Amino acid sequence: MNNEPRTVAVLGAGTMGSGIAVVMARAGHRTIMYDIDEANLRRGLDSVHGFLDHSVKLGKLSQDAADTAKRSLSGATDLRELAPSDIVVEAVFEDLALKKELFGRLDDIVSAHTLFHTNTSTLSVTGIASGSRHPERVVGTHYCNPAPLMKLVEVADGRHTGSPAHEATVAFLRGLGKTTVVTKDRPGFIVNRFLIPWENSCIDALENGVATRDEIDAAVKGSLGHPMGPFRLLDIVGMDIHQQVATRLYEQLRDPRFFPPPMVERMVAAGDLGRKTGRGFYEYDDTRLFGS
Amino acid sequence: MSEKFERVGIVGAGTMGGAIARFLSAAGVPVTAVETDLTALAGADLVVEAVPEKFDVKVAVLAEAAAVAGPGAVLATTTAALSVTELGAALPGPERFAGFVWHNPVDTTRTVEVVPGLCTAPETVARLAAFADSLPGKEALVVGDRPGFLLHGLLMPYLNDVVQAYDDGLAGAEDLDVAIELGLGYRTGPLAMLDRIGLDAHLDATEAAYAATGDRRYAPPPLLRRMVAAGRLGDKSGHGFRTQEDH
Ligand SMILES: NC(=O)c1ccc[n+]([C@@H]2O[C@H](COP(=O)([O-])OP(=O)(O)OC[C@H]3O[C@@H](n4cnc5c(N)ncnc54)[C@H](O)[C@@H]3O)[C@@H](O)[C@H]2O)c1
Ligand SMILES: NC(=O)c1ccc[n+]([C@@H]2O[C@H](COP(=O)([O-])OP(=O)(O)OC[C@H]3O[C@@H](n4cnc5c(N)ncnc54)[C@H](O)[C@@H]3O)[C@@H](O)[C@H]2O)c1
Repeated sequence: MNNEPRTVAVLGAGTMGSGIAVVMARAGHRTIMYDIDEANLRRGLDSVHGFLDHSVKLGKLSQDAADTAKRSLSGATDLRELAPSDIVVEAVFEDLALKKELFGRLDDIVSAHTLFHTNTSTLSVTGIASGSRHPERVVGTHYCNPAPLMKLVEVADGRHTGSPAHEATVAFLRGLGKTTVVTKDRPGFIVNRFLIPWENSCIDALENGVATRDEIDAAVKGSLGHPMGPFRLLDIVGMDIHQQVATRLYEQLRDPRFFPPPMVERMVAAGDLGRKTGRGFYEYDDTRLFGS
Repeated sequence: MSEKFERVGIVGAGTMGGAIARFLSAAGVPVTAVETDLTALAGADLVVEAVPEKFDVKVAVLAEAAAVAGPGAVLATTTAALSVTELGAALPGPERFAGFVWHNPVDTTRTVEVVPGLCTAPETVARLAAFADSLPGKEALVVGDRPGFLLHGLLMPYLNDVVQAYDDGLAGAEDLDVAIELGLGYRTGPLAMLDRIGLDAHLDATEAAYAATGDRRYAPPPLLRRMVAAGRLGDKSGHGFRTQEDH
């Protein structure tokens, strides 16, 4: 099923849903973005168009290809409109009950061959699949943000995922130009599983006076070859998001390395969330808060 | 102004010592690298020790180097995780001794950690820091004498964690590295990095940090010991996590 055009439904038109919709539409798949919130759906569709236009401006995509991608994109706020989907990619809020319920409702709408992909970061694929009567067709596909630019997709099967669904998923993702790695249905898969304790240990080192913010960022970027130091990265991710992801992983793993260090809670309490509030580990003046 | 170093001696020409000698030499610094015959260190005003991460071996080598180079020379260690203070305490001139910790690969990494022990003289720290800063593309960071100092203190638990997760079947070696390289943009995945460091060098360092702290994040994962016992040391032996996939 590699390169054949399919009908792909993307559930949730937020950050990830919009990015994934770009990936699908750009690859020639008929793409339906679905959101319960009309305004969010609008914003998501706009952001897909914006991304495609920007790609044209950068010379990364032809005007023709962008137009074709836009024509293959539509929006829906009624789940029944997703009936023709060959694949649904779920990217709604990180809430187990919500994701389960959505898959359960889709059971009665989509076909008997439709694949259910979940983009969850921290929940169990098996848990989400338990909301469907067809867990054999549910596969974890964890994209990275921004999805149109990041090549990696982590693929994780739930306990009941069937090998046909797994194989078809890997082939489909490769057809999108993605690099897949196969991992297990374990909290955080690979990327978040190692990123969160790493960031926590850097925050601890700072709080414990091992070195300064600038020294740690300089050493990690300059000598480990990371694209940026941990504090620059945390400022982009947002301390609130780091706290949420870390706490969710800690709750499942009960391993203190995942628990957000006290400094995280203080920064969140103070509203120093990073770039988006103008101050995190660093200060910024090009933000909504301090901009005009 | 701190006094510059005119001639650098290096003891232990392995992964780090050999690379540091080549780097300094390319930068126009006169260098002598030795392995067994330390007499060639006479005349050096800085001796950098880069022998394996074993306390007794380092102390023996450093004491001999101190005797050959004389009381005017500064002595430094590239230790990743032993205590600079404890090594210095076993030497005749601990005030002229400090940590001088380069990173791997030596020619492309930017920071060099200068680590004073409790007895290190400020002048010794200043001279080493000025020396590192004078080298092309290098920047000195003066950091405290804690297990692993700055970068190794962060790196060792992460590498141990990856080895354990690999042994626990989270993913294959290549997939783990690819996920981290593509997902996080790190230049080198953790298992390829371990192969480059040397599994024996990492085992010695993380054991030293574990002994010093009792912190289980530094405890060597069992697979690491098995790999070293089997002679699978990474790039240097042609067989590690990534250099040959099966283990
Ligand atoms: N943001 C990231 O960096 C990132 C990376 C990888 C995976 N993820 C995962 O992707 C998922 C989405 O994350 P996000 O950052 O895009 O979130 P977001 O908050 O930006 O978007 C979520 C969207 O889902 C919609 N939504 C909520 N409930 C819905 C429902 N019942 N039906 C339809 N739409 C609904 C919301 O209106 C919103 O537009 C989460 O599971 C998250 O863990 C996020
Ligand atoms: N490998 C790394 O990535 C790395 C990074 C930072 C710091 N370090 C530290 O640097 C030091 C050296 O590590 P390495 O990886 O280069 O080790 P290595 O095993 O590659 O090299 C050690 C060298 O020392 C020589 N040697 C052994 N005993 C000796 C003695 N008694 N007298 C003289 N020479 C002797 C060996 O022949 C070998 O050439 C260690 O303290 C290590 O923790 C290593």
